[in-house]
Amino acid sequence: SSRGDAMRGLAVFISDIRNCKSKEAESKRINKELANIRSKFKGDKTLDGYSKKKYVCKLLFIFLLGHDIDFGHMEAVNLLSSNKYTEKQIGYLFISVLVSSNSDLMKLIIQNIKNDISSPKPVHVNLALHCIANIGSVEMSEAFGQEVPKLLVSAHASASVKQSAALCLLRLIRTLPEAMTYAEWASRVIHLLNDQHMWLTAATSLIHTLSQLSPGDYKGCVSLAVSRLSRIVTSTYTDLQDYTYYFVPAPWLSVKLLRLLQCYPVPEEPAVRGRLVECLETILNKCQEPPKSKKVQHSNSKNAVLFEAINLIIHIDSEPNLLVRACNQLGQFLQHRETNLRYLALESMCLLAGSEFSADAVKKHRETVINALKTERDVSVRQRAVDLLYAMCDKTNSEEIVAEMLAYLKKADYAIREEMVLKVAILSEKYASDYTWYVDTILKLIRVAGDYVSEEVWHRVIQIVINRDDAQGYAAKTVFENLQAPACHENMVKVGGYILGEFGNLIAGDERSSPLVQFNLLHSKFHLCTPSTRALLLSTYIKFINLFPEIKPTIQNVLQNNNQLRNADVELQQRALEYSQLSSITSQDVLATVLEEMPPFPERESSILAKLKKKKPASVQVSLVGCFISTYVSVQVSLVGDTLMDAFDDVLTLPADLGESPSTESTEHANRPNGLAKKIISPGFLLRFKLIHFKNLLIFADTIPTGSKGMRGLEFFFGVLFENALIQVGVKCEFKEQYGRVGLFFGNKTGNQLQNFAAAVSLGPEHQGKINVATQKEPPSQIDGGAQVQHFINLECISMFSGSPNLQLRYQHSSAPQQVTLKLPVIINKFMEGVDMNSGDFFSRWKQLGQPTQETQKIFQARHPIDTEAARTKLTGFGMCALTNVDPNPENLVGSGIIKTKTSQIGCLLRLEPNKQAKMYRLTVRSSVGEAAALICSMLEE
Amino acid sequence: MIGGLFLYNHKGEVLISRIYRDDIGRNACDAFRVNVIHARQHVRSPVTNIARTSFFHTKRGNIWLCAVTKQNVNAVMVFEFLMKMIDVMQSYFGKINEENIKNNFVLIYELLDEVLDFGYPQKTDTGILKTFITQQGIKTQIETLVNGAKTKEETTQITSQVTGQIGWRREGIKYRRNELFLDVLESVNLLMSPQGQVLSAHVAGRVVMKSFLSGMPECKFGMNDKLVLDKGNKTNDELSKNSSGGKPSIAIDDCTFHQCVKLSKFESERSISFIPADGEFELMRYRTTKDISLPFRVIPLVRDIARSKMEVKVVLKSNFKPTLLAQKIEIRIPTPLNTSGVQVLCMKGKAKYKASENAIVWKMKRMAGMKESQISAEIELLPTAEKKKWSRPPISMNFEVPFAPSGLKVRYLKVFEPKLNYNDHDVIKWVRYIGKSGLYETRC
Repeated sequence: SSRGDAMRGLAVFISDIRNCKSKEAESKRINKELANIRSKFKGDKTLDGYSKKKYVCKLLFIFLLGHDIDFGHMEAVNLLSSNKYTEKQIGYLFISVLVSSNSDLMKLIIQNIKNDISSPKPVHVNLALHCIANIGSVEMSEAFGQEVPKLLVSAHASASVKQSAALCLLRLIRTLPEAMTYAEWASRVIHLLNDQHMWLTAATSLIHTLSQLSPGDYKGCVSLAVSRLSRIVTSTYTDLQDYTYYFVPAPWLSVKLLRLLQCYPVPEEPAVRGRLVECLETILNKCQEPPKSKKVQHSNSKNAVLFEAINLIIHIDSEPNLLVRACNQLGQFLQHRETNLRYLALESMCLLAGSEFSADAVKKHRETVINALKTERDVSVRQRAVDLLYAMCDKTNSEEIVAEMLAYLKKADYAIREEMVLKVAILSEKYASDYTWYVDTILKLIRVAGDYVSEEVWHRVIQIVINRDDAQGYAAKTVFENLQAPACHENMVKVGGYILGEFGNLIAGDERSSPLVQFNLLHSKFHLCTPSTRALLLSTYIKFINLFPEIKPTIQNVLQNNNQLRNADVELQQRALEYSQLSSITSQDVLATVLEEMPPFPERESSILAKLKKKKPASVQVSLVGCFISTYVSVQVSLVGDTLMDAFDDVLTLPADLGESPSTESTEHANRPNGLAKKIISPGFLLRFKLIHFKNLLIFADTIPTGSKGMRGLEFFFGVLFENALIQVGVKCEFKEQYGRVGLFFGNKTGNQLQNFAAAVSLGPEHQGKINVATQKEPPSQIDGGAQVQHFINLECISMFSGSPNLQLRYQHSSAPQQVTLKLPVIINKFMEGVDMNSGDFFSRWKQLGQPTQETQKIFQARHPIDTEAARTKLTGFGMCALTNVDPNPENLVGSGIIKTKTSQIGCLLRLEPNKQAKMYRLTVRSSVGEAAALICSMLEE
Repeated sequence: MIGGLFLYNHKGEVLISRIYRDDIGRNACDAFRVNVIHARQHVRSPVTNIARTSFFHTKRGNIWLCAVTKQNVNAVMVFEFLMKMIDVMQSYFGKINEENIKNNFVLIYELLDEVLDFGYPQKTDTGILKTFITQQGIKTQIETLVNGAKTKEETTQITSQVTGQIGWRREGIKYRRNELFLDVLESVNLLMSPQGQVLSAHVAGRVVMKSFLSGMPECKFGMNDKLVLDKGNKTNDELSKNSSGGKPSIAIDDCTFHQCVKLSKFESERSISFIPADGEFELMRYRTTKDISLPFRVIPLVRDIARSKMEVKVVLKSNFKPTLLAQKIEIRIPTPLNTSGVQVLCMKGKAKYKASENAIVWKMKRMAGMKESQISAEIELLPTAEKKKWSRPPISMNFEVPFAPSGLKVRYLKVFEPKLNYNDHDVIKWVRYIGKSGLYETRC
């Protein structure tokens, strides 16, 4: 047309805006234009397509200047039905920029797009596809998820339409993966890789995403991709020669194909595999050739292909030859001028170090990497160098690498220090051949970067020192020496305090580190420390009283000092008070029992490693052997709140367990400390003492995950058993081996006295002779209004029993007799202890218990959606140990436990096989006693 | 302590840059340009903190004036200084625009050397400055000027005078006709609810004096300030009954004086006495909030007729003596942002829809007191994609009236010159009151 696409009005408007002298002038001009457009768009006027396009364009321009546009949407939609390309284009542009996805007009827009998609003109189809992709909403995915693939595989669609369709589909799948049916199109989409045209870069992106979403359906793309890749890479083919970029044939497509191949395992057919290996070799070879151009684009595109090829080689991880060659190639890059290349080389090498074939090749570059750490200017590259050093560390080079990392730590960037500290700590632990080296390294670590040494690191060193007899003396000596430095880090004081408290006696023989010297040294740091460290030091002091009775008066002086007794920190106050009382009232024997050396920690996964994993989930490939079972957590969990503290009376027997052997009879150890304590301390104080000591234990548990033997395998819980308007019955149970203790708390909720109160455990015929019940003393016969009384029952499991014993409760309220029968929460599984075993053990035992009488199997409907994790938690709660990596099918749950009774120990094994489709479970229990198997089976079914 | 002073044109190009302290770097002026002048969002705060440096700016026409400091200065002092600087420049070369500034580079730098010393404000009084910065400004309209060189005697005289006790006036001034002009200039600010309730109102006033008096005259200024009158009542019962009995007095909330006013006398006797500066100066500034007589009342009536139509009717009532005439009346009625057309009908004056300002502007040249006039308009609206509620900005108006809305009256201005032989009666005195609108708004 003669007016054409000139849109003079728009040009004038834009030049007006550009000529505005000030912001105010600009906004005035825009207001004027908006008013003008509004008057044109008024309902009673009809506009031709050209004017509509012009005004919509102006609105778009105003929007791009940062003003809100809230009209003109209808006019833009009208433009879509125009036949002129430019008008349609502007309409689509406005819609993709300005129409929100929840607009009322969306239906109309979708209808218009549908019309355009089926249009014979490719340009119109393209516009519509672009609009779909630009909006990319869920609604669009739903409307066109089925349409777009048709275009993609259509016989007569042009290349440009197919390209747009591929990218559009990619966007829709990312928005709503379920919008498309994958299997239906798979074979035809895969064969797009054979297409002649360059648009298949877009298609490869699409196929890459599709294979990630539905790997099975798109498996066929591997061989096609390999052949495509080989045609590009091998110079004999002239395929895609038009797409050579700075002498590199189709670099983008190559990279995409290499990425696609990383979605799948190595192709199994030897021909394909051979061809792929050949391709990768060719790519590696090409890098050895002299560059064909000095332009940076040439080397960039060549390297892009190379790095992606190396990623694929690492992914395949079964071609030693390729891996070593890749490693050598990367080695060359380590000293390259280009920082990015150095970074990428280090990063890829980190992965190579994890492969068994190339690990040695990587280690050859140790010198270069260490050098990079020292001289590299870019911090991110240094970070990668640290990662690589960590990855390549092994027994032979650990001492050197750790030393280098320690040296670098001094000038390392603050951001990576904490991570480096963790890495040094892990390496030194993992490859420690001699524990003196380990202790030295960690102490040096604390000295060099004390602020970055996290709790886990120094907890770990203490765990290891306590568990290794050979390291203790050396540790005490070194710690003592380190503490002599005028300024030492608080973490050092913590480690020093703990270790000297435990093993100070090992170095006390020396004149220079006599008890008093040790104490004075520690106490000289006391005032500079935070309350938590001071609390730890107070515990050290009380331990000193036990270790060195000769300095007891000095320490007591410190404990009784007002600085401690009247400290603003309650924790310190309590510790000082309790410790000074403990030291002055108790006999040496009691002290020695309470304050005995900590028992060795059970082995478990290093807490440091867990922390590093948390920090960088992907980068940790090293795992440490062994696994701790932390028990203190369960204690903590059951400690619900301070208000319930007084209910913890019997938990307080725990501190006395510190030194006790686990074989001590439960009843005895429940009684003894009480009596013992009563003899020496007034009752009110007793309670406090117990509580505090229990808390101390927790604090020790906090600072050092202690594995107090008394607590291991001890299970307890509490809750309200029964409640009505008159009385509340609380219960707290503890079980250990075949012994159980039930604490009952009777609370009178009324204001009056409950009289003739009696509570007795009644054993039905099914329990006679299977459970022994002993009460420590009879409960009081009356309960005052609002008061609470306690009553303890000791139980012993003699043999298997089912159900649970009853508690008979009788009392008289305002002369009306009342009777309540309650079930005590004493069930056979409370006497069960989980047993950890490996796959071999499990199945050999499983086979041993193969007689039909020993097995019970049930198949039942799942009441909740099947959730393996939840089931595992339930199993653990039941008392069994849920075993991992035992059953070949990860969905199946496997557990094992031992029921401990006085007469026998009954082993139980269990398999739970869920069937997700049918929502059914099959539960199989085998036990040495058939009765037990049946019982457990029926209980678990519930 | 101002660290530096910059002047920019509307594009953000630096016209004048003067740095007084070392803590301000050269990049400070770039920081202001990037963060304020060229900021993506319009910066409304006059004080901007960028990297622990404070920028105080004000705009005159298309020129940005910006003072920079790193210290914790009194912001009001800085703005007071900037305003003074604007006054000074205006009195030297007229309107502040890019061309004038470019033509007067040398003068401006000379002024900047004088008004600030190491960042501390010095003399900013135009009269005093003109005694020693005699360079005439170059105005756009060329004026003939004679700039004779000063003799040595004159320069020593200037030094002694500027550093002397009465720094604002030199000795030996002679006029054939002793004449003085007194202007009471007030601006009324108002915010009124649609129902006619006053939400806030205050008057900011200035007393500007232009004196052409010979010698070193001593003046005494009297007005109907409540405190002064009360004071008079106590000291002289008889007199007060005669002079102020029945006459209304006003309560001044706070006031500031030109440096020539003897504050000690004001403290003790509440009398304003001074030796005036020669030429024009601002004698005092004050603020009142009580008993303001509002010259105009705006009564708005807004009605939504249909989804796409609304009707606005505004009645204007003048509320002062019928003999007086208000001038330059302009009422601005905001229109919704989706207005697509406006029909206006008014009885008096001219009214027009200004799309660029999203408002109907109604202008009247003059209006007598106790009159009423009205305008009505029909506004067509375009339906919008999102239903955003229009914020209904208030109707604002401008005017000028020939009285002081605060009620301030000049009672007397006496002139004594003991050395020369003229007395109070020989001086020709002129008094003028002008009341202008400040922010005079009525919600609708």
